[in-house]
Amino acid sequence: MALHLNLLHEEILEQRQRQRDPLKIGIMVLCFVGVLMVLYYMWNGYQALGIRSRLNQVQADWSKVEPNVTAAQKRSAELNSIISTTKVLDGMIDDRFFWGPFLEKLSRCVALNAQITSVDGTVLENNRVSVAIEGLAAGREPRAAAEELRQLLLEQLGQSYSDVKVEFKVLEDLDTIVKIGGGNMAMARFGLGVTFNPGAAKPTPPPAHTKISRP
Amino acid sequence: MKRFKLTKDQIQKGGLSVIGFIVLIYVYFSFFLGPLNSSRSSMRTTIEDIQSKLANSKNEMIKATNLEKQASNATTRFAALKALSQEGAPIAWFPPRTKAFFANQAIDKTTTRLEGSVPFKEPDLSSWMRYNWLIDLPQADFSALGTAVAALENAEPLLSIGKITIRALPDDPQFQQVSLSASTAILKR
Repeated sequence: MALHLNLLHEEILEQRQRQRDPLKIGIMVLCFVGVLMVLYYMWNGYQALGIRSRLNQVQADWSKVEPNVTAAQKRSAELNSIISTTKVLDGMIDDRFFWGPFLEKLSRCVALNAQITSVDGTVLENNRVSVAIEGLAAGREPRAAAEELRQLLLEQLGQSYSDVKVEFKVLEDLDTIVKIGGGNMAMARFGLGVTFNPGAAKPTPPPAHTKISRP
Repeated sequence: MKRFKLTKDQIQKGGLSVIGFIVLIYVYFSFFLGPLNSSRSSMRTTIEDIQSKLANSKNEMIKATNLEKQASNATTRFAALKALSQEGAPIAWFPPRTKAFFANQAIDKTTTRLEGSVPFKEPDLSSWMRYNWLIDLPQADFSALGTAVAALENAEPLLSIGKITIRALPDDPQFQQVSLSASTAILKR
């Protein structure tokens, strides 16, 4: 085996140490990673630019449409408010009690031998109507005349209203005598309490047919 | 096998490199990539919001157009009901209007007094007020009264008579003394 003498031993060692310098290797690795990071950042930045331009476009579209949409929303809210207010007002209008037809019916019921002196009518909280009627009736049987008025009132009101009640509160003979049609008639004072529901009377349902089973 | 042995100087330099790497990573994510990503995500959210608004806007416009068609009756009726409330304080115009109305029905001497006003409980009627009136007709013929009341109820849909009192006049049995308690819905001006 030939003898090999390495006279440059120290220089070679120094060179190897320089090549293996951790700081140098670290800086190289850092530079490589840095370059990768910069590239990745630039790619992200490019994408962000694309998104920004899309955002600008969408915002421009929205700014064109927005005034119309706002106006439409405002108009919709206004219309909804009008519809609901009209509905409530219509409900109030429909739920009213009309006194005109009632007064007409009352006038039809009063015969020549009766006179109404006062009428007090009230629409109660539950929409029921209460009327207090006071008057005078004359005739050979003044109480019968008053009863006739009550019956007629019950019949007339029953045609238009439901749950009609006509009751005497007061019915008393008076000492006064009046002349009607050339004859002297006795008088009676009456007070009637009338209550009813303004809703129309429901027709009575026909009787149910029962099936007869054959034996 | 050859042993790989680091000198003290090399260990120090290696440590420095590791610290530099950590600092680089921190700076990169905290000051560069992080803000960029958050800005991207916020832009995406904004785009989605606006796009959903744009999509809804088409529906809103169609809805408004349809509603306009459907509400034509309601708007006409509402305008008619609104027109019943005149400008100014109701106490200034309602009593003269009632007086003129009954005068046209051959009932003179009408007195209308305001008893009070209350807001409606219904939220839909927040812009309306209920006014309670006492209408006195000291001398009215019964048949004329019936016709006048019926006409009043038809002419004033927002008026509702809650109480009616009729008394025969002892001196003049042909005429009655009448008192009406009525309430009206009047638009706030």
